[in-house]
Amino acid sequence: MSDERRSGPHQVLLALYALFTLAAGARSLVQLTTRYDDAPVAYWLSLAAAVTYALGWYAIRQASAGRTGFASVMLWVELAGVAGVGTLSLVVRDWFPDASVWSDYGIGYGFVPAVLPVAGLLWLRHRKLAALANN
Amino acid sequence: MPSVSTQITWIVVGYAALVAVLAVTAAARGTERPRWLDQMAWMLELLVVVRALVGLGPLLGGDRPESTSTYVGYLVASVCVLPIAMRSVQDDRATWSAAVVAVAAVAVGVVAVRLQMTA
Repeated sequence: MSDERRSGPHQVLLALYALFTLAAGARSLVQLTTRYDDAPVAYWLSLAAAVTYALGWYAIRQASAGRTGFASVMLWVELAGVAGVGTLSLVVRDWFPDASVWSDYGIGYGFVPAVLPVAGLLWLRHRKLAALANN
Repeated sequence: MPSVSTQITWIVVGYAALVAVLAVTAAARGTERPRWLDQMAWMLELLVVVRALVGLGPLLGGDRPESTSTYVGYLVASVCVLPIAMRSVQDDRATWSAAVVAVAAVAVGVVAVRLQMTA
């Protein structure tokens, strides 16, 4: 059990979440502090994405230790965020004179932001089923 | 002829891609993470450090990048990603740890390209 907890696909998810926390966080902070007036909505949404990734990282870490509650909420929140902001960026172009992390469903990051929560939810489902089978 | 920094960037990107492919291959084989993969990852880090040192040039010279803070961000990220990733799998040689190396290698390649674009 402890071995399974340490090693597994969640390590890749954790690496990606850490990476996106860093990328989105640094990007939004630079944009908010140096060119706030260019696209404030987009930049604030980027910061929200960064916070979501940080919480997602924590949620997956918890889930890998058997506490899946937070991840079951957080990954859906993230998916809603990507879908919501992605759609918003297509519908209300005026709010996005500059891109946000989740603009066009994460096109600027090769759509990895759209894939991440789905991959996370699939992993979580697999994890829960495995836990059920063990009991 | 492209500048020295451009040439090193392409070497970094090519080598990062190689490390990523080999790391995925190692992970797919389902065995322990091989030692040579670690050595290749640290070689990549060495290349990235060389690129970062060359990258200090635009900051010191008169031809400063358009967005200095973005440029510095990529510069710092380029050298930090691999050590942090390697540290996180230091005591763990299980199969999936090789996939973490793959993620880090791809990230380093992308950061190298972005660094070049913001210079």
